[in-house]
Amino acid sequence: MGSAGAAAAAGIHDGELGAPPQTYTGKVPWQEGAADAPPAALGTDFRFFTPAERSFIEAAVNRLIPPDPAGPSAVEANVPFFLDRQLAGPFGRGDHYFLGGPWKKGAAEQGYQMRFSPAQLYRAAIKAVDDYAAANFHGAAFASLADADKDKLLKGLEAGTVQLGDGVDAKSFFAMLLQNTKEGYFSDPLYGGNKDMAAWKMIGFPGAHYDYSEWVTRHGEKVPYPTVGMKGRPGWSES
Amino acid sequence: MRRPRIRGKAALGATAALGALGLAGLAVGQILPPLPAHPVTGVTPVGFLAAPIADTTPNAAQLQRGQYLVRAGDCVSCHMREGGDPLSGGFALKTPFGTIYSANITSDRETGIGGWTPDQFHRAMHDGIDDQGKNLYPALPYPWFRRISRADDDAMLAYLKTTPAVSYTPPPNKLPFPFNIRFLVKFWNVLFLKSTDFRADPRQSAEWNRGAYLVTGLGHCGGCHTPKNWLGADKGGQDLQSGKLDNWVAPDLTANPRTGLGGWSVEEVAEYLKTGRNARAGAGGAMADVITYSTSLLSDADRHAMAVYLKTRPAGAEPAIGAPDAHAMARGAAIYSDACASCHLENGVGQPRLFPPLGHDAVLQQADPTGLEHIILAGSRVGTSPAAPTPLTMPSFAWKLTDQQVADVSTYIRNSWGNRAAAVSSGSVRSLRKSLDLEAIRYTANSGDQN
Repeated sequence: MGSAGAAAAAGIHDGELGAPPQTYTGKVPWQEGAADAPPAALGTDFRFFTPAERSFIEAAVNRLIPPDPAGPSAVEANVPFFLDRQLAGPFGRGDHYFLGGPWKKGAAEQGYQMRFSPAQLYRAAIKAVDDYAAANFHGAAFASLADADKDKLLKGLEAGTVQLGDGVDAKSFFAMLLQNTKEGYFSDPLYGGNKDMAAWKMIGFPGAHYDYSEWVTRHGEKVPYPTVGMKGRPGWSES
Repeated sequence: MRRPRIRGKAALGATAALGALGLAGLAVGQILPPLPAHPVTGVTPVGFLAAPIADTTPNAAQLQRGQYLVRAGDCVSCHMREGGDPLSGGFALKTPFGTIYSANITSDRETGIGGWTPDQFHRAMHDGIDDQGKNLYPALPYPWFRRISRADDDAMLAYLKTTPAVSYTPPPNKLPFPFNIRFLVKFWNVLFLKSTDFRADPRQSAEWNRGAYLVTGLGHCGGCHTPKNWLGADKGGQDLQSGKLDNWVAPDLTANPRTGLGGWSVEEVAEYLKTGRNARAGAGGAMADVITYSTSLLSDADRHAMAVYLKTRPAGAEPAIGAPDAHAMARGAAIYSDACASCHLENGVGQPRLFPPLGHDAVLQQADPTGLEHIILAGSRVGTSPAAPTPLTMPSFAWKLTDQQVADVSTYIRNSWGNRAAAVSSGSVRSLRKSLDLEAIRYTANSGDQN
């Protein structure tokens, strides 16, 4: 047990948990040039979704956050790319989940209870939803359904009235997809979504400024800062 | 998006192992080993340097004086490697000619200087010649140390011989031909070893002379702060007018009001030497160690004397400085506002003694911008002292800013709030980033999960 515990502790490398416990003597450790940097989603290639899965995801997230005059749609905000990189990484692998059994259906308060990692859940659920669509909507994949039919199916997943095959819990998948879509839409552009900080601009959030403390008591005032992400804003390079 | 607690695979393994014993329920709580109940304390280098020598010790007065002088000479900064014992050497001094490893100067008779006679020690300090008669490289600052009195040399050796013997032999130097030929140092000495023994200036006060003795002798401030020629010797007539070493700039210490100490009071210089910080600046880079291992451990009277002397050093000629590009200034202002102003504030006034104010700042206006670029790319930590034990740290921005952005914000900082200095090019940032090995992001253990 001792060695298993130590191995687990050494393997955890996560900002949420903090650095693995260590003992320091003499002085506070500090390494020149090292940074508590977030992992950036670089490039444009998709690493997790197959082309068919990508079609499903683009169709689904664009019904959750459709284009309208208020702001960009989920696809315009690059949410599918954000989801792809999350599912290709530690989140998708379920590095932070307890995935061992028993896999009994728990109360909502007990949180995630499935044996699937998030990546496995997305993969199985996308196939199950497409199978369901084919069986119930004249052989069509979800992405090619009319918007009204897409909404009908998504609402069925949310309510749990649609039963999926392959052991996939429709409600849990919908809840995760909706949650992750919101995260991709509003998280820092560094992670691949929220393109051009458009979601922040839509709601008037000025972004990743270090300190808002002087604004805490200034209700109803517009914060005059230009919107900025962790990797900057156009004004840092253009002029 | 992440649910905490434990890593899937490890948890499965632990659960499987314990399940056999019927203890599965305990698995979650036992994954992480418990934190130590209290920090483990060791003898720190500062504790070593300040260890009391009882008055009842034989020869106490000389030993106490020797220990104090070892602090004044900042011996520990170079004669201690990361994780090594104080004074046991092995620190890699990166010179423009190659890497020189500092010697073991503990009392060990085989690997240290426990067997040296006072004459041998004085010869090393005064002429740069070791106990075997071989030339030492002037990485040992004997061009300054030769101003030390014989009595002070004898006191230092007496003290060093009481330090715990550490058996350690530093690695061989990494010097390319012809610098690996020690004999050639004899010619270097003929050319450049011009400094004489210390002579008090009768026109100046006793305090000024004490300051001169410390600054130009044991303190060897010019070792870093005086510009060097192509053979690593001081450029004549430019004493303390700013030098460069190991990707840092040691700022101008002359009376120049823009780049030097002209705007500082004697008290401000003395406070800086005591705590590594004052209302104008914080000591980072190599100066952080100088504060921690040397000047913070000296007497107030000696720090004041050094400040009095430093305030009288003549400034060099001022260069012509052109106006910065307006576009670079606009980009720099945008970066400054988002990335710097939360600590240093929009108007650059900072929080004195915590986050250095940036207006009318000498460090930022050095002709060579390497120091500023270094601080932005790699971050910096202010040296600690008994009077100010918290190591304040500026974070690294290498992961966040491009070379052009570092250059633009540097140009902006160097030309705002009363500062005036040459613009910074992205090329110089690029080469510094390469020298500092920061082209790839260097993550801390506390960074988020990487894919």
